[in-house]
Parts: sequence; structure tokens; C-alpha cells
Amino acid sequence: MENLKWRKADISYEKQIHFSKRDFSFESENAGEFITKSLANAYWFFISDVDGDNCPFRPTCSAFLLQSAKETNIFQASLMFFDRFTRDMNIAKGHDHYPRVSAGYYYDPPQNYTLNQGRIKYLPPAFIVDDE
Amino acid sequence: MIKVLEICYKGIRFSSHKNHFQFCLPYTFIPLYLYTLLLIISSSAEIHSQTEIEKQFNYAKKLYDEEKYFDAVTEFKRLLFFYDGDIYSYESNLLTGLSYKNGAKFSEAIQHFTLAGLNSKNIDEVFIARLEIIKVNILRRTIGRALALLDSLQNDSKFTRNADEINYWRGWSYIFSDDWENASLSFSTIEPKHPLALLCDSLAHDLYDPTLAKTLSIIPGAGQFYTGEYVSGFLSIGWNVLWGYLTINAFMEDRVFDGLMVGSLLWWRFYTGNIQNAEKFALEKNLEKSNSALRYLQNYYIGKKP
Amino acid sequence: MRNFLTIIFLIPLAVHPQSSSFDFHSPENIKKFADHLFCEGDYLRAIEQYELINENLDNDTIKFKVMLGYSELGFFSESNDFFRGINDKSIFYPDAYFLSFKNQLISEPGLIIAPSINSFNSFQMKSFSKLTNISMLYEDKFNISRENFTAPFDAEELNSVSTFFDHKVEPPYKSPALAGLLSAVIPGSGKMYVGEWGDGITALVVTSLFAFLAYDNFRTDHTTRAWIFTGLGAFFYAGNIYGSVASAQIFNARIDFDFNNGLELFLKQQNYFLPEYDFCE
Repeated sequence: MENLKWRKADISYEKQIHFSKRDFSFESENAGEFITKSLANAYWFFISDVDGDNCPFRPTCSAFLLQSAKETNIFQASLMFFDRFTRDMNIAKGHDHYPRVSAGYYYDPPQNYTLNQGRIKYLPPAFIVDDE
Repeated sequence: MIKVLEICYKGIRFSSHKNHFQFCLPYTFIPLYLYTLLLIISSSAEIHSQTEIEKQFNYAKKLYDEEKYFDAVTEFKRLLFFYDGDIYSYESNLLTGLSYKNGAKFSEAIQHFTLAGLNSKNIDEVFIARLEIIKVNILRRTIGRALALLDSLQNDSKFTRNADEINYWRGWSYIFSDDWENASLSFSTIEPKHPLALLCDSLAHDLYDPTLAKTLSIIPGAGQFYTGEYVSGFLSIGWNVLWGYLTINAFMEDRVFDGLMVGSLLWWRFYTGNIQNAEKFALEKNLEKSNSALRYLQNYYIGKKP
Repeated sequence: MRNFLTIIFLIPLAVHPQSSSFDFHSPENIKKFADHLFCEGDYLRAIEQYELINENLDNDTIKFKVMLGYSELGFFSESNDFFRGINDKSIFYPDAYFLSFKNQLISEPGLIIAPSINSFNSFQMKSFSKLTNISMLYEDKFNISRENFTAPFDAEELNSVSTFFDHKVEPPYKSPALAGLLSAVIPGSGKMYVGEWGDGITALVVTSLFAFLAYDNFRTDHTTRAWIFTGLGAFFYAGNIYGSVASAQIFNARIDFDFNNGLELFLKQQNYFLPEYDFCE
């Protein structure tokens, strides 16, 4: 009973921050991952952070590639990336297709694309995901 | 004694003794004494029942003070369910509302503050209950509602003498809607050097102007320098110089297709990106600044808080 | 006259003692308060109060109300834990037994394998058949004729139930293999087959563009550029085949999701075939 009751809440005056911070670390489990991570870091630092907010997806295309490489292997990850890239180029994407994160971007995690039916977590387009 | 009573009571009706009345007079009041005595005893029982209610109220209050808000609500509800007098209705509803507020159950809180207002015994209690509703609206950032309620308090002649307090909470409403300039104005109507007015004023001056950041970025990098993001500023300058040079160069050499491609796909992308970035930095840094001010207010400011 | 006076004098004395020793926490008053909370929909507080007096009163109604309250609050496992403590001689046992199925279906949807019980009334018996039939839809193996499946249902439920049956027998899935194959023949067509027209057209345009660029550069002997375009084109081509298979899988996941959602909505609308309990007049 006691743990079903609500308790004193921690009400913060602060506003929630939706800006996502990049993870620039070089942590990786194998050489392939190290290479992709280094490329991604360089891409983030020199290009992505200065060429504006162009990616409508979360995770972003580069983060998608990194996570795919973690989930699968470098070859499968690149296929997943090219598919994502194609979907990104589609000018009529989305409004009734992808769920969204709270900041408004389309939520499109690599787990849905590993070709493992059991790992797919389908969410309807109207759904708002809490975290990225 | 019994003998005397017997004589007297029978005597009242059947007496022939001439001193009988004088003799018996004190005894005729015995039933009255007894009655009064019983009445006193029973009203002390009434006092006893008063203490039961008081005890229940104090129990609930104790739970509230111990921050056991769920249980406090239960006990206040129990009191209000059985007790239909009006001594505790206002306070019980008010404390129930505060308990709900502390558990972040804001709509329940407002419901009970409204009940407290309806059960208030004087105009001060009405004011307090209505302020609590306003504070909940500030806390959950329904600022439009908070300001509307403050307006209605201000326009009510009953609360003319509470003008300072109304302005104080108006200031807090503006703080929570990130409008530090208006917050400062509201606090300074109470007192020109009000500490919160000074705080809001200094923050308002400290914040970046996102429009200015964007406008400055017409010259690539300038907006980033304005917000103190020098690395990003230099990178923006670098890319824009590079793609700008390649684009113009292509056109100079009559390679129109290359010029269009580099210009539209690359230069344009980095140029608009530079403007977007400058605005983003301004907004990000402003959010960090206002959050640190809010953190300070929540943890260190001594004074009334929502 | 004397009697009248006596009565007049005694009235104030008689009124006072009634309120004299009011006990907020006596079992009777706790029960009254708990009933009030339950009717207000404040179930958790009501349950807490009922649990305070449960041992004193040992009341079947209270036990059932506690179980119902937990279920209403969404604490289904607590509700079912409580069910285990309800005596099967209790008049509410059939209701509680039935409620435990609802809890089970919401918390872990699956086939109901529990038997019916003799103490079910005819309404409960019918609801039980409905619920067990519906619960079959959650199983992968589905082996029942339409007549048997729809038999227990009423006319107004029949429409939804037949739709569920049809869907279960022949789900409108798209084949991932076919989607992949189509995209291998004509880039993007697999995506179109799945219903992703925009993605399909984009894939077709992009792959064709790179194929053309590669061809054009080979033709004009720009071999390096040609090979770069060939490589990129190949990746877009392969990525699209891969993506078509993935899209078909996601499409199928969507079909399952919508089916389960529809089923849940239907059960909610029917309140899991439970009767309306009215403990508050």
C-alpha cells in the first residue's frame, strides 16, 4: 500500500531543455566502430554543427549510422544508412508515417530496421516519444 | 434529608404548616440545581466532542507538517466528511489543496483551493485561497490563467489594499513566462529597488537578443561571435569563404552548372546554417541563463515563492 | 403537565450525549468514510480504509470492492493478488473470478485457460464464453470455425467480432520477400507495394540518377568519377532493397499494432463483458 501512494513531488522551477548534446567520445568496441565514430565526430564538428538544422529525424542520420553499426555490422549498417538517406530525401515524408520526439522531429530508431521482426517497436504517427 | 424532601414536596400541595413555604423554599429548587448540573456535565461532553474534531484536525495537520501529504489529504477528507460545521472547513480545504500541490497534483489542488475560498470566513481568507490558485497556475506555467486571475483580483475593489501582493505575484508570473523585463516592472511598482526587480532587470540585460544574433549573421560568423561561440564562428567564416569563392569562381569561368550546384547545395546550406546556428546559440544560452536564475530563486531566494 | 415538563427539560440532555464521544476512527466510521471515498472514485484511499477494518468486518462486499478498486486504479497484479484471498463461498466470488480475467487480459494479454465455475449465473456464463473466445485472438495458433467463434456474441457485437475473426484468419500483411524482390527488379517498387509511395519514387529517382551519372561518365571516359557514382548508386540500390524488406516488416508490425489496439478498444467499450457495479446509490 505505502508504495502505491503518491509522494511529495520534486517540482522544479527550471524549464526543460530539449537541445540534444553530441557525444564526441571515441569510445568503441572494435576497429570498425572506432572508424565510424571518428568519421562521425569529424562530420559533426566540421559540418553538421555549422550547416544548420537539416535533419528532420531523431536519431539524426549520422547518429543513426553509428547506432546501426553498434546494433549490427558495418555492412548492414551502411545499407540501413542508405535506406534512411533515401527516406530523408523524400520531400513528401512523414506527417502520417513517423512518430515524433517532443521537440518535433520524426522518431526513427535503427532497432526497427535490423530485419528482426521481433525487435520492431511500432508506434503510431500521433505518438510523442519522451526521449530520443 | 429524604424526609425533608418528602415533607416539602407533599407539603407544597397539602400543607397546613404556616412556616412551610419559608422552610421548603430552598428545596423547591433542587430539581433545577440538578438539571443545571446535568446540563453542565453534558456540555462538557460537547467540549469533549469539540476536542475530537480538533484532535482530528491536528492529526491531519501533523501529517501535513511531516510532509506525508497523501495521508494528510486522507485525514482532512475524513474530517470534512463527518464534520459539517464551519470552523475547520476553510483550513482543511486549504491544507488539502496545499498537500495536493506538493504532490504536483495541480488540478486537485485548485479544486480544493476553490472550496477553501467558498468556505472562507472573511475577505482575507478569500484572498489567500485565490492567491493559492494563482500560484499553482504559475508553477504549472499556465501563465495566461494566472495573469487573468490577477487582473480580476486587481479590478475587485475589495482587494485594493492588497495591490502590492497582487503585483508581486504578477512579477512571478512573468518570471515563469520568461518575460524578465515585465517581471522587473511589476516588482518595481511595489518598491523601485525591490530585490527581485533588480535581479530580473540584470538578467534581462544579460540575455542575448536572438533577432540581433540572426541579423548579425548576415556577415557569416558575426552572430556566433556575439554569443561567444568563437570556434563555430570561425568554422562558419571558413566554409562560407570556401564555398563562396568556388561558386563565384565557377561563374567567372563560365561553368554555370558547377556554380549553380555549389552555390545552391553548399554555399546556401552553410550560409543559412550560419544564421540558424547564431539564433540557436542565443536561445540555448538564454535558456541556460534563465534556468540558472530560476534555480537560484528556487533554492536560495528567501521570500514568498509559488 | 408534569410529564410534559420532564420531556421538555430532558431534550437538551438527550441531544448532547449523542455527539459527545464521536470517534473518527471507529470501524463503522472508517467504513462509512471508505464507502464515500470509493463512490468519489478515490479508490486508493478507499482501499486503504477498507484494509484497516477488513479483519474486523470480514465482509465479502468490502473484499470485492478492494479488488475492484485496485483494478480501476490499474494495479492489476495487486487486484489479482487480492482475489486469491477471496473465499469461493463468497457471493461475490463469481464476479471476482471474472474480474481476475479482465486484470489478466490487460496486464498480460493471452489465452484464458481457466475453467468456468458452477456458481456463474447465466449472464456470467455467457460473458465467460465471450471473453475466452476473444482471448484466443491473442494466441498465434488460431483454430476455430467462424460459427463457434461468433456463437456467444450478441447482434450488436457481431460486426466487430467477425472483423477480428477475418483479420486473425487472414491478416492483411505484406510479404517482406516480395517487397525485396520487387525493389531488386525496379528500384523503389517494393516500397510502393508496401504503400510508401514517396519513399519509393525517391528511391527510383535517386538510383536512376546515379546510374545515369555513372553511365554518362563512363561514356565520356571520366573513369574515376564513373566508379564513384557506380559505388554510390550500388549502395542506394542495395539499401533500397534492404529498406523495402524492412518497410514490409514495419508495415506488418503496424497491422499487428492496429489489430491489438482495436481489440483493446473493443474490450474496453464492452468493459470486458463485466456488468456495471453500482455500490453508490
